Amino acid sequence: VKKKWTMITYAVISMLALMLLLSRENVYVVIALILGILLLGHREIWSLIRYRRLPVIDERVQNNLTGAMRVTGCFFFITSIVLIMLLRFNVFHETPTGLIISGLLVIVGIVYLLSYHYYDRVRPNLGERAIRWLTIYLITAGLSLSTIALAIALHNLVSAWLGIEEAFFFILGLLVAPAVFAISLLGSLVVFLKGMWASFAGVEQA
Amino acid sequence: MITRMKEYRARLGMTQEKLAETVGVRRETIIFLEKGKYNPSLKLAYSISRALEAGIEDIFVFDEEQG
Repeated sequence: VKKKWTMITYAVISMLALMLLLSRENVYVVIALILGILLLGHREIWSLIRYRRLPVIDERVQNNLTGAMRVTGCFFFITSIVLIMLLRFNVFHETPTGLIISGLLVIVGIVYLLSYHYYDRVRPNLGERAIRWLTIYLITAGLSLSTIALAIALHNLVSAWLGIEEAFFFILGLLVAPAVFAISLLGSLVVFLKGMWASFAGVEQA
Repeated sequence: MITRMKEYRARLGMTQEKLAETVGVRRETIIFLEKGKYNPSLKLAYSISRALEAGIEDIFVFDEEQG
């Protein structure tokens, strides 16, 4: 019953959001949202069409959902930061914002779908050591990302306060932290791809 | 973890779909369990062993080497 009401609430909110966006002529976002909903709920929609009932959300699905949501959340956060920075420097001067947001929504849907599909194939193929490394990489990525924002803010603050061009936070925010962030992201990607490769080859990673 | 679910299921002439319905999971979950690609919770392992009329240790065998 709880699941049914959650689905109904989700459908009503989606419909209202779509109507609101349509009234504001954000057609790109509407198309992206519809595609996103189809991508995210494809299993549920298929089950409703074929069996006329919602599929069971068992413990494996719940684990996958949690993993997929975490991956997508990180992806959405990182992409938003990058897009905000690009918008700040007027890279998308000629591009409509609706197009950027809609593209982002579709990509998020795809990332969610991929991580949802591959999470249970990758997770069992990662040994304790690999999972530990993945965790370290993800934590470092998060910390370095926060460091970028914090160091830039501190640089501006110290520079304004002392009236000089401060160097330490400048180097930290624009060189060191982005480099650590890139290495961490690459590292986590390598571990994930190794697990995916092992799932196809049937070998466990140490 | 090595599972002997397929063997016990075949003995009872039970389909994956039927077993999934009995223990309240998706058919895909049964497929993953039979392939040894998913480690079930104790609750699920217990439900499966009951549905297959066997003990947990008969169906789920812990492999010292694989873990």
